[in-house]
Amino acid sequence: MNKLTYFPGCSAHGTSEEFDHTLKLVMQTLDVQMEEIPDWNCCGATSAHVMTENLALALPMRNLVLAERLENKTMGIACASCYSRMKGTKKHLDENPELARRINTTVIDEGEYKGTIDIKSMLQYCYEEIGLETIKSKVTKSLSGLKVACYYGCLLTRPKDITLFDSPEYPMSMDLLMEALGAKAMEFDFKTECCGASFSISNTEVVESLSGKILEVAKESGAHLIVVACPLCQSNLDMRQPDIEKHTGRKFDLPVMYFTQLMALAFGYPEKELKLPKHIVSVEAALKHIGEAIPEPEKVKKIKKAVEAESEVE
Amino acid sequence: MARVGVFVCFCGANIAGVIDVPAVVQEAKKIKEVKISIEYKYLCSDPGQQIIREAIVQNRLTSVVVAACSPRMHEKTFRKALLDAGMNPYLLEIANIREHSSWVHQKDKKAATEKASDLIRMAVAKSIANEQLHEISVPVTKRALVIGGGIAGIQAALDIADARIPVTLVEKSPSIGGRMAQLDETFPTLDCSQCILTPKMVDVASHPYIELIPYSEVIELQGYVGNYKAKIKKKASYVDFSSCTGCGACTQKCPVKVPNEFNMNIDKRKAIYTPFPQAVPNKPVIDAEHCTMLLKGKCGICAKVCEKGSINFKMVDEVIEREIGAVVIATGYDLWDPKPYEEYGVGRYKDIITSLEFERMVSASGPTNGVPVRPSDGKVPKNVVFIKCIGSRDEAKGIEYCSKICCMYTAKHAILLHHKVPDSHAYIFYMDIRAAGKGYEEFVKRAQVETAATYLRGRVSKIYKKGDKLMVRGEDAQIGQVVEVEADLVVLATAVIAPKDNPALARLLGVSYDKYGYISEAHPKLRPVETAKAGIFLAGCTQAPKDIPDTVAQASACAAKVCGLFAGDTMKKDPMISTINNEFCSGCLNCIKVCPYQAIVTEEIPLGHGSKEIRTVAKINEGVCQGCGSCVAICRSMAISLAGFTDPQIINEIVAI
Repeated sequence: MNKLTYFPGCSAHGTSEEFDHTLKLVMQTLDVQMEEIPDWNCCGATSAHVMTENLALALPMRNLVLAERLENKTMGIACASCYSRMKGTKKHLDENPELARRINTTVIDEGEYKGTIDIKSMLQYCYEEIGLETIKSKVTKSLSGLKVACYYGCLLTRPKDITLFDSPEYPMSMDLLMEALGAKAMEFDFKTECCGASFSISNTEVVESLSGKILEVAKESGAHLIVVACPLCQSNLDMRQPDIEKHTGRKFDLPVMYFTQLMALAFGYPEKELKLPKHIVSVEAALKHIGEAIPEPEKVKKIKKAVEAESEVE
Repeated sequence: MARVGVFVCFCGANIAGVIDVPAVVQEAKKIKEVKISIEYKYLCSDPGQQIIREAIVQNRLTSVVVAACSPRMHEKTFRKALLDAGMNPYLLEIANIREHSSWVHQKDKKAATEKASDLIRMAVAKSIANEQLHEISVPVTKRALVIGGGIAGIQAALDIADARIPVTLVEKSPSIGGRMAQLDETFPTLDCSQCILTPKMVDVASHPYIELIPYSEVIELQGYVGNYKAKIKKKASYVDFSSCTGCGACTQKCPVKVPNEFNMNIDKRKAIYTPFPQAVPNKPVIDAEHCTMLLKGKCGICAKVCEKGSINFKMVDEVIEREIGAVVIATGYDLWDPKPYEEYGVGRYKDIITSLEFERMVSASGPTNGVPVRPSDGKVPKNVVFIKCIGSRDEAKGIEYCSKICCMYTAKHAILLHHKVPDSHAYIFYMDIRAAGKGYEEFVKRAQVETAATYLRGRVSKIYKKGDKLMVRGEDAQIGQVVEVEADLVVLATAVIAPKDNPALARLLGVSYDKYGYISEAHPKLRPVETAKAGIFLAGCTQAPKDIPDTVAQASACAAKVCGLFAGDTMKKDPMISTINNEFCSGCLNCIKVCPYQAIVTEEIPLGHGSKEIRTVAKINEGVCQGCGSCVAICRSMAISLAGFTDPQIINEIVAI
């Protein structure tokens, strides 16, 4: 059994409970024991780092020190924003040892900062440490027939120098993960476009415009639903969708699910474990596509015919 | 008794701004051997040199010390002044009080002044031990090697050959013509590239003084200026060029189709092919990577249809040697691969192409007969977005420099698009419009007025697909807003980069190259067509991105340099080289191992006077020795001495401080 230090972040215990819950189910199936950091605190997220540098570093540092005490090699983080703050802080501290010592004095009660833990997003952990082959082997109910648009948001793969994971502009890890579950990942150009993030509260119009564009392009791709790995992306795309529909006059009907919900489903957990009632846009209709045969597009048929014809001539 | 003259230069404020020149002059006067010590504002100027010349005659000087800039700058100038005054030029010593003192010690004027005096004291002491030296004459092989058969190589070869100097032109691909042969029309006059280039290509092939070796590469260069020996590998073409008539039957019948690199892989060529119809020489070669006969021993159709029996599947690479006196590097450029622009969907969307692909499409002889089409569905595009600076001026994804030609060819593309598809519209996203050059700004204006192209100042941040269109989202910085353009086709002006083989070639030739892989010139302003290695010159984009007019000018300049080098039957060479006193030589031959120029050979001499027994000693080849001094340092018998840097000279210098 693998052990993993787990940092859920505030959303996992609130708005993204379905993420947290299905993540735990999935990790159980994958034989990973998750140890939640005792007494973890806020990562600072969107407010601390624009207010004061000390606080912006001290908050994640306290979590890092607590995480190091658990003595696991890797810390997995559910929320993309927490992931960005924690990994960014670690890089900054590791590059400036003098600063690390100074900030450490603020949280010295928790212990000394060593900089030894490896930080990964849960998507990254699944992709890099568990691996697609293992995940594939656990699938009992293939998601074939389901077309998905994988949305990574802005922080899971960026900035490149901090995340050191996948392509910053056109990542493929979640797409490949979905294909491993049997689903079809659609070509989706807005994978890493901004959803508006925390402007959801202070300037909803911005979020409606940006998230609206993402929904539009996802719909265009032919996907039945959008897959995400970030709680804020989920809430913006899901919760704001009815308002966006009202204001643009377009009907999207695109449920927004966490990748772990789909993993849990593919691993054979019953639908009620996915906490589907938490979704604003109903998921039911989309999931009915599972099992459907996807017809080959006309273009592919044509090309295949042409290739056959050419090889016959030769 | 030595009589030394010291001349201290102000170099405007370069030296005098930091160093107290009059004090230095007074200090030099205290040295016993110094008969005259004077200062002047610019010694390198004619009046400055006149002062030196007069002082030499009036004071019957035995050596001269000029305290000024680096000897790399003006040693030759002052040597000439000595010569004009009837003095051996090697009795000159330079005290470099600019680079070695005033420039590096600007914050401590007192110390800089003291250091200048020290440097002069050393130079004076050294000059007292200077000997009269005389230039060496070495024979010259009057043949030039031109590497690369693009417009740079073609122009250089023709100009040298027109001066009746034999040229060997080596081209890597099966035909000369280079990148220019791929172009449709050229800015700023829109002459057809083929029409102005192909006559020159034919001239090369028919010129009595040019030996054209296509499909080959230089693999070794030995020797020194005026006397190089080059090894050239002729790649197996599997076609006997001497009997082949270029009828084309073989290429017609060959069943193997391969992406056509000349047309940027838009269409296919055969495994036996000539790159394009106007190729010079117009003889096909077999592509060994794709020919099924060479790979699997099956087919051989080309050999069956060839009436002359020119196909020879057993042909192998051949290495030939040429003795040459000078080399012109003209290897051209490559284009940057825009793959890192993932946010544009490069590689995923067929309708995003590069400028050279567009160029091939609008070319009358191109794969689409001169009409631009969308690679995805073959439709003629109406809205075309051109994006400049793809990879250029982009520290994050590409390279830092400006590729220089993209502003101009993109304006040209807008005009060509307008000519070929009159109801089309061009949108051009740009950072700046850099149109410096004769007729260039006018040309850009013409593009803007004639085609009504929309020039949008700003970067494109995203390209995404909507139906069968590409949505191009970018900033229009002039109105401060994000704009979206619905495009049928997107053309990326990708950066000009150095050919990837340049560093290997540079190492092989012994010339330096910069961090981008471009061959370095000896001086960016004053020696722009020479490399730091004597007798090796450069022309065209192998040095840096440039357009056709600049390339041709540089190529002709190279030719002038080569002709100058070959003007006499012998060449003068600096006498500051090593000599071996073979009486002291123990024959350990360590000097041969450390010599970087292979300038030392062995010699057999009698063991003693009148002795019949012999012993082996080292001997310097005067023509090859560059005077680096490595052999002097390694010689344990102190048998080697370097003219101009003899032990007495060096010891004098050390004692003086």
